[in-house]
Amino acid sequence: MLINFILNHNPVSVDAPADITLLALLRDHFKLTGTKEACEVGECGACSVLLDGELANSCLVAAPSVMGRDVVTIEGIHAEDGGPNDLQRNFIEKGAVQCGFCIPGMVIAGEALLAIKSEPSRLEIREALAGNLCRCTGYMQIVDAIETTAKGRAEKPHPEKREN
Amino acid sequence: MAKYDYVLAKSLDHAVELLNESGIRSIPLAGGTDIYVAIRVNPVWFDRLVDIRRIPELNKVSLDKDQVKFGAAVTFSHAIKNPILLKVAPFLVEACKTIGGPAVRNCGTFGGNVSNAAACADSLPSLVCLEAVAHLCSPKGQRQVKVENLVKGPHETQIETGELLTHFTFQVPPKNAKSCFIKIGRRKAQSISRLSIAVIGAVNPAGMVDYIRVCPGAAVATPVRFPQVEAVLLGKKPNKESITAASEQLVADMIQSTGRRWSTEYKEITLKAIAERSLTKIFLEDGHHVN
Repeated sequence: MLINFILNHNPVSVDAPADITLLALLRDHFKLTGTKEACEVGECGACSVLLDGELANSCLVAAPSVMGRDVVTIEGIHAEDGGPNDLQRNFIEKGAVQCGFCIPGMVIAGEALLAIKSEPSRLEIREALAGNLCRCTGYMQIVDAIETTAKGRAEKPHPEKREN
Repeated sequence: MAKYDYVLAKSLDHAVELLNESGIRSIPLAGGTDIYVAIRVNPVWFDRLVDIRRIPELNKVSLDKDQVKFGAAVTFSHAIKNPILLKVAPFLVEACKTIGGPAVRNCGTFGGNVSNAAACADSLPSLVCLEAVAHLCSPKGQRQVKVENLVKGPHETQIETGELLTHFTFQVPPKNAKSCFIKIGRRKAQSISRLSIAVIGAVNPAGMVDYIRVCPGAAVATPVRFPQVEAVLLGKKPNKESITAASEQLVADMIQSTGRRWSTEYKEITLKAIAERSLTKIFLEDGHHVN
């Protein structure tokens, strides 16, 4: 069936089977493999995307249900020049990336939080990441990266920050 | 060849019509957080998903006089931010906060949680305490069933094929009522309840309990109130002794219902502890708290 929606800020149209998830649509039909496939039951957060600005597990979203909606994947999160944005740079600088598999989901979850809370507490950051599993870092550096980004954006409003 | 089809329902009538189209086994789809997990382990048992998430009246929470009404497609994230539910049923909001993680709460709905009817479903104990009524719609008309009766067993409800769970209603509890929800899981987020409990109660001006509802989750086959436990407290001044007696009654009633099982050794200690903790919270402390 034909599915029209906004993908990473651009309108797209794709002919896909009705029985696939948004995760499969992104990876298999758009070849956007930054969104990771892992548990496929909504436990790990590796497949996180922003759906109308809200965090969602793309493995649990029906692909046709995004008709007319706004989807942002990790490929849609970047600085104006196409390089890493402030949050992604802070992930690197704080040592928040080890094997890297969970990081697209972590960055998406971080952006979902920063879109609604400009200065979250560390507890709020941990709660926002509660559905994203990382088996390498122990989370501290990831929390540090999001906290540092929040402080940076509070000082200097970020051009990519979405206002809800 | 797709294993099943998908169709977006444009209105309530459209959804009911689609669910009853002959020759096509259709089931409603809301958040998808249970369906997509289920079809990974079970063979697909339907021909078509009828997406009900965008039907406006299924997404509303409203207060009319003393009655709260909320749509089956209201998400847990929506509930957590809703001022009506926060004011009249804080323990229901607390229960919603313990479900999954943020992404699951953004998609998961009350209608899905109730119709999936897992023994450990986290919104159910509070809904049972509130004596919430589920409203079902089909071509035959509307019918109403108390949530406590709607759930017949683990993953089993009275909802018939072609019937759509549209919304829930409940009477606003007494103004002085205090409530509490406690969940025991293996970690704070993304965990299935090992046990949970919802309690709501109030005392009259003389300090005697005149309103009490107790419903544990994941303790017996379905979430139900325990009248014998409520009777221990009703009409008495709540104190440490009566709370302990009520908690022991709850454990005895649970064992009577389930028999002694491999998990009983754990559950009898834990259920007593969370019953005491929640009842203490509402009667001897400030209520409205969780965990």
